[in-house]
Amino acid sequence: MFTKFNKKLDTIFLDPHSENFETKESVNVMLSPSLYWVKKVSLPVKYTREVKALLPSLFEDILPDGVYSYSAYKSGDHFFIFAYEDKLILDILSAKGVVPTQVHNVYFAQSELSYIEDAVKINDSQSMILKNELLVLVPSSWIENSIELDRLDVSKLSLSKNSITLKQFGHIVNDKALYTIATIFILFIAVVAVEYFITLHKISTTAALRDKLFVKNALKPTMMQNRSILKELQDVHTIQTKFREYVSHILSLQLEKSEKLTLLSLKANTLIAEFSEVQKGSEANIEKVFKSKNMKYKSSFKESTWHVEIEL
Amino acid sequence: MNRINPLHIAGLLIFILIFFMVKLSSAKDDLTDTKKLYQETLSLATQLKGLNEVYSNKSKVENSLKMLLKNSSLTASNIKQKNSTAGIVLNSQSIDKTALNFLMGKLLNGSYNIISLKIKRLSEKNASLEMEIKW
Repeated sequence: MFTKFNKKLDTIFLDPHSENFETKESVNVMLSPSLYWVKKVSLPVKYTREVKALLPSLFEDILPDGVYSYSAYKSGDHFFIFAYEDKLILDILSAKGVVPTQVHNVYFAQSELSYIEDAVKINDSQSMILKNELLVLVPSSWIENSIELDRLDVSKLSLSKNSITLKQFGHIVNDKALYTIATIFILFIAVVAVEYFITLHKISTTAALRDKLFVKNALKPTMMQNRSILKELQDVHTIQTKFREYVSHILSLQLEKSEKLTLLSLKANTLIAEFSEVQKGSEANIEKVFKSKNMKYKSSFKESTWHVEIEL
Repeated sequence: MNRINPLHIAGLLIFILIFFMVKLSSAKDDLTDTKKLYQETLSLATQLKGLNEVYSNKSKVENSLKMLLKNSSLTASNIKQKNSTAGIVLNSQSIDKTALNFLMGKLLNGSYNIISLKIKRLSEKNASLEMEIKW
């Protein structure tokens, strides 16, 4: 069953027994009373938003098992409250050839057809009648006079603002769980993002401290230059330390009575010592000391003078 | 009715999370490198400062040598000084062994960059001395 109510946008009346809809355009959907549960209630609250929090408990005892969404609107001193299964409606829409992306707005027949006076026949077995302001389904056999749904005066019908949005994925995960998971994710993202920005700040602070070190210690612009200067100075330090250590070893030598240290010289990182009046073979005592101190040397004799060159 | 698929939102959140985690991981690596470089620079600056203080401090070397050579035990040795931009050369044709011991004791225990030295025995009590100190 396909009824056009709007010139701009077609409106379809959706019932489980509707015929398939042949349309590729966007449509408004009016739900048959068989697709929702409705109550007319009087509550000691002023605003609809206050009622919405109470809806699950108001339907608690009457709804069969299922995943329900709830809606409400105010009419006079009363509230009309609704419970409906998104997945059921979406499945019926799909079965009737309407994909979710085609659906513009969804309305309850209750809010759109509350003006009807006569029974409206939906199909051979079911009709809608208004009873105590509630649009209810009754078997067609109970009704003597009814009009066909197609004969409703569509020109007078204007859609209300009481539309609902179907949750396409409500059966996969409910809103509360979705919001909880999303909140956890967002918090986690926030934590990671904050840590990222703190890390960036630490990087810039450390880089600034390093720049200060360059200025304070009058370092050269590049680390390569500085490393080169340090290497040079470390080499100087090593040579000077060894020079003093080796001179100390030489001056501490136990020489024979006739033996004399006649020359001590340093040139091109080589320490030279000359001992006079050294008998060949007696230099072994001195060499023993040099070897024990891991001194690298080479020696030669010139007459009775023993010439030693020690590498620093 | 065209509600956003929660899986798309989850995907987007996961993407943003992964994006920030990758950025954070990269930033942490950068921070480690920056800290390492800072520590290296600090160590290098400390060592350079110390070694420069010891071996490249011209005024300190000049002043301490000046004080040393003024010592009464060295005046008789007639030690000549020759300054250059790179250092100082000390020279004595004849220095007695007491003065030589005193001088060498001070120089070897001090922080001088001695680049050349020649001590030649002249007699039982005397020697000649030639030394170059760099700054």
